[in-house]
Order: sequence, then C-alpha cells, then structure tokens
Amino acid sequence: MIKKVGFVAFFGILLFFVMLLTSCGHKQEIAPETPAIDTTTHPVDTTPPPPPPPPPPPPKLQESQLETIHFDFDKYNLRPDAKAGLDHNYQLLKKFPNVIIKIEGHCDERGTVEYNLSLGEKRAKAAQDYLIDMGISPNRISIISYGKERPIDPGHNEAAWAKNRRCEFRIISQ
Amino acid sequence: MKKSSLVFIILFLTSFSLASAQGNRIRNVFFDTLRTGNIQPTPIGVDKMKYIGNQYITAQDSTLMRYITAVVRYDIDFYADFELIPVDSFFLTMYQITDLDLLSWLRLGADIVVKLEAEFPGQNIRARWRLYDTARRQQIAKGKITENKNNWRILGHRISNEIVHTLTGSRGIFLTKIVYVKKLGKAKELFLADYDGANERQLTANGSLNLSPCFAPKKDEIYFTSYMNGNPQLYKVNIDSKVIKQVASYPGIIAAPAVSPDGEEIACVLSKDGNSEIYVLNLKGEIVKRLTRNRAIDTAPTWSPDGRMIAFTSDRSGTPQIYLMNSDGLNVKRLTFQGNYNDSPIWSSRGDRITFVSRTKSGRFDLASIDTSGYDYRILTEVGMNENPHFSPDGKHIIFSSTRLGPRDIYTMDVSGRNQRRITHSGNCSNPNWGPIK
Repeated sequence: MIKKVGFVAFFGILLFFVMLLTSCGHKQEIAPETPAIDTTTHPVDTTPPPPPPPPPPPPKLQESQLETIHFDFDKYNLRPDAKAGLDHNYQLLKKFPNVIIKIEGHCDERGTVEYNLSLGEKRAKAAQDYLIDMGISPNRISIISYGKERPIDPGHNEAAWAKNRRCEFRIISQ
Repeated sequence: MKKSSLVFIILFLTSFSLASAQGNRIRNVFFDTLRTGNIQPTPIGVDKMKYIGNQYITAQDSTLMRYITAVVRYDIDFYADFELIPVDSFFLTMYQITDLDLLSWLRLGADIVVKLEAEFPGQNIRARWRLYDTARRQQIAKGKITENKNNWRILGHRISNEIVHTLTGSRGIFLTKIVYVKKLGKAKELFLADYDGANERQLTANGSLNLSPCFAPKKDEIYFTSYMNGNPQLYKVNIDSKVIKQVASYPGIIAAPAVSPDGEEIACVLSKDGNSEIYVLNLKGEIVKRLTRNRAIDTAPTWSPDGRMIAFTSDRSGTPQIYLMNSDGLNVKRLTFQGNYNDSPIWSSRGDRITFVSRTKSGRFDLASIDTSGYDYRILTEVGMNENPHFSPDGKHIIFSSTRLGPRDIYTMDVSGRNQRRITHSGNCSNPNWGPIK
C-alpha cells in the first residue's frame, strides 16, 4: 500500500519535472523572439523618412564618401588621379551645400619635421585652391598640415610612403 | 688654378695647426677636425676614485665612488678633444697590479692621467681631482669639489667640467640639458634630460603634437610648435615649473622656431600669407620683419653665431636646398648643389661651416657638412635615416636623431662625425635640441 503511494508520488514528481522542462523549452522558443523587439524599433527608425517633408535633411554626407587624394614624393602639384578625386569631392560638396570641410595635408616619413610641415600645408592648399577654382566658397574649406606626424601606414617602404603622401577631407559641420 | 691655390691654403693651415697643436700637447678639436679630416684627441687615463678618509668605508660610499668614476670616464670619453684610455682589468689582474703608476699609464698610451680621491663628511662627498702629465711625470693641476651624496652625478660632471676647462680653456658641457620629442601613442611630448640622457623627465603632457623644441640661450625656456589648441602655433615652456605659455598665434602654421644668439628674437616660419615664409618675431610674438617673399617653401631658419646671417631651406629651385641670407632678408645666396634634398641647416659655432641633412645617393638621409663658401661638402654619417642636427653649446658636438638601429633614437657625435653615441634607448625619440651652458 505504502509502496503504491510511493509510486504515485514518484510519478507525480516525474510528471512535474517533465512539465517544468517543457515549459522551459517553451521559454527558450520565445527567446529568439527578442529580435522582434528590434524589428519594432526599426520601424521607429524608418518612420521619420515616410513623412514627406524630410527629403532635404535625411541624406547626410559621410566622410568616407569624400576621396583621399595622393601625391608624389616631395611634390604638391595635383596628379591626374588627384584631380579626379577632387572632382568627385567637388560634386559632393555641390550636392551638400551646407557641408564645411577641413583638408588635412600629410607627408611620408622622409625628410625633416619642419620641411614636411610646410609641404603638407602646400598639399592641402593645392587641394583647397582647386576646389575654390571650381566654385566652392572659400568659407567652406579650411586647411591644416600634420606634416609627417600622422601616417596611416607605419611601414618604411614605397608602398607605405605612397599611402601617407595624401590629403584627407574631414567634415567639420553640415 | 683656383682649386690648387685652395688646396695649398688648406695644406698650409693644416701644417700650421698641427705644429701649434703639438707645441701645446693638448690638441684643440677645432684645428684638427674638418680641416684635416683626421682628429687627434688627447689620450687620457682616469684612475678609479680612492677613499682617503681615516675610517672604514661603507659599502654605499664605495659604490658611490665607483659611480662617480664611471661618470667622469664617460664624460672624458664623450668629449671631442679627448680619448679615454680603457683600463683592462684582465691585464691588471694578470700582472697583479693594484695601482697604476704614471709610467704604467704612459705605457698604456695616456698623455694625461686623472686621479680622484674622496672623503665622506656627513651627508656630503668631498672629492679631489689631480691631473698628471705622464711624460714629465708631474702634477699639472688639482681641485676640490663638495656635493651632497644625492648629487653624485652632478659631482662627477663638475669634476669633468674642471678637467676640460684646465686642459682646453673652454667651458665643459657636462651639466647641460637636452630636450627631445618622444612619441607616446598618438601624441608627441617634450622630454628633458641631462646631456648624457640621464634624469629624463617629461615637460609637456597635453596629448597633442609638440614639435621642434628650441632652447632660449639665456633663460630656462624652450620654444616649440604645438597643436594643443588645434592649429600648430608657437609656445614656450619653463623647464623648472613646466608652465606653458602661448607666444604667438597667426593663421596657418607657425613652425621651426630658432631663437637668435642674443636671445632677443625668434626666427620662424609663418604661413599666414598662404605659403611658408620666414619671419623674425620678438619675444612677445609680434612680427619684427618678414625675410622671404617667394611662392616656394621657405623653412628651417638658423642663425649664424654672430646673429648677422640666417641659413634656411627653400625649394625655390624645385628641390629643397640650403640658402644663406643676411638677417634682414637681403643678399640671398644658394649654398648647396649636391643631390636633390638638403635641409635642416645648423651653423657651426665658429661660423665657418653649415651642417645639414642631405639625401645621399643611396636614398638615405645623412648628416653632411659644407663650408659657408660652398666648398668642401662632407658626409658625416653612413647608416640609417639621420635628422634634425643641432650643436652642443661649445660647438664641438652634434646631437641628432637616427634610425640606424631600427627605432628612432637620439644620438650624438663630434663635429667631425667621430665618436657616435646613442643617448636614448626607448625608441620613438626625435627632434633633439641642446641647451646652453649655465
């Protein structure tokens, strides 16, 4: 008699655990639904575009869209590929008339700190002058030279130097 | 015709200087160096410091004596006019020599011997130095210096300064300071150290780019270019208080400051005209004079020792070359025609030569030297990328940065290119400048 009660109790407990496990399983199935919350936030993001007025503000110019241009050793004249890059940047600046940029002139590690500071400025100035000649207002373009102090490639070979002789375009405000 | 007469003049000067040097026994680096190209430094032996007190010496004091001996030996070996005779401890042990007498020093090759003695009254070191002429076996000079035990390094340098002054008549440089730029992450900060690289300490800590430090000759100040407020502008820092003050602010860059020999003016580069031009500012940062008017790059001004002329770099010919002009900007004359990259000129303290960075045929950047007449171009280094030379205040040594062992570090050498030494060992060090003798 007692054995029977024990059996029943044992099965009861077993059943309880099985139920518990399955319920846990259910919860685990729910867990993947969390992305659903994300999908609800996404609609929030996308909702601002739907209203018709925003077309002018939403598309913003990304710094990565502006092309970095490169130079020859100890030179600050614009190569054909640099001019092509500047033409590309000019189109973007025309498209986004509120963007104000700063052109950073950089050099490779060869030569002295002082000379490269002047050379970097010459490079930034060449790029600035080109854009102004194309019709961009001088108020929208400032320049700074970092000489050889901020290389993007720390290497000591021609490949690294070629990458480091450059003008970068930074967006100050838009 | 012209060349042969020049050779004759050089030969004449050489023989004259050699004769006068021999008459003197102590040879002056300025006569030998660069004129003959072959320097004959005076060989000097430095005996180890001995205790002359009447008590037992403590282990600590004995260590101090070893350190002071090492400082004096380093200084003597460093100095352009001298050459340290190494003491071969193996030789001494072999022949059971505990004390080198003057005859032994003479046999080792020493013309002059320095003997050092010390006592330790209280917290002080009282040191005596004596100079001996080994050929004549007699004492030629002596002196006494007392310093606190903590200042043992200063004590050693003071002894060396007195030895230099006694033997050459010039003031020693062993208590001077050097400043250089060290890269810390993305920032470049100014660091100050003793002339031999000891006692390094950080001067600026603004996390920005701090470049081209230049000592003022009479005050404890260093002028430099810094990006701390965005654009590269001119600042100065006091080396004791480390207080930084802005000196000048103009549109564009302010670069390459060079304080005039009288300490009253600063030659530097301003680009407010849309292009790098050399200007002279007063100590308040106001423009005194514009010296160059050229669409090319004009930079790296350096004063002649009398302050009447300025050497600078310009790429007006298409490549960077060294030019000379009067300090009012008139009478510009091109000095270098060798290779396609000559930059960073410095004027020798005697005013007769310019040392600069020259891109040599191998594509390396080496230090080179040329007479202000434009003759006698000589390459002084032959390994690594060598940059930013500056003279020691006595004009006998040059400090510069080099990548010869991989990392960029600070090195020194004699004006002739002899005796090249590494001063910093951390890497990422550049842009050195040497402070005045006080």
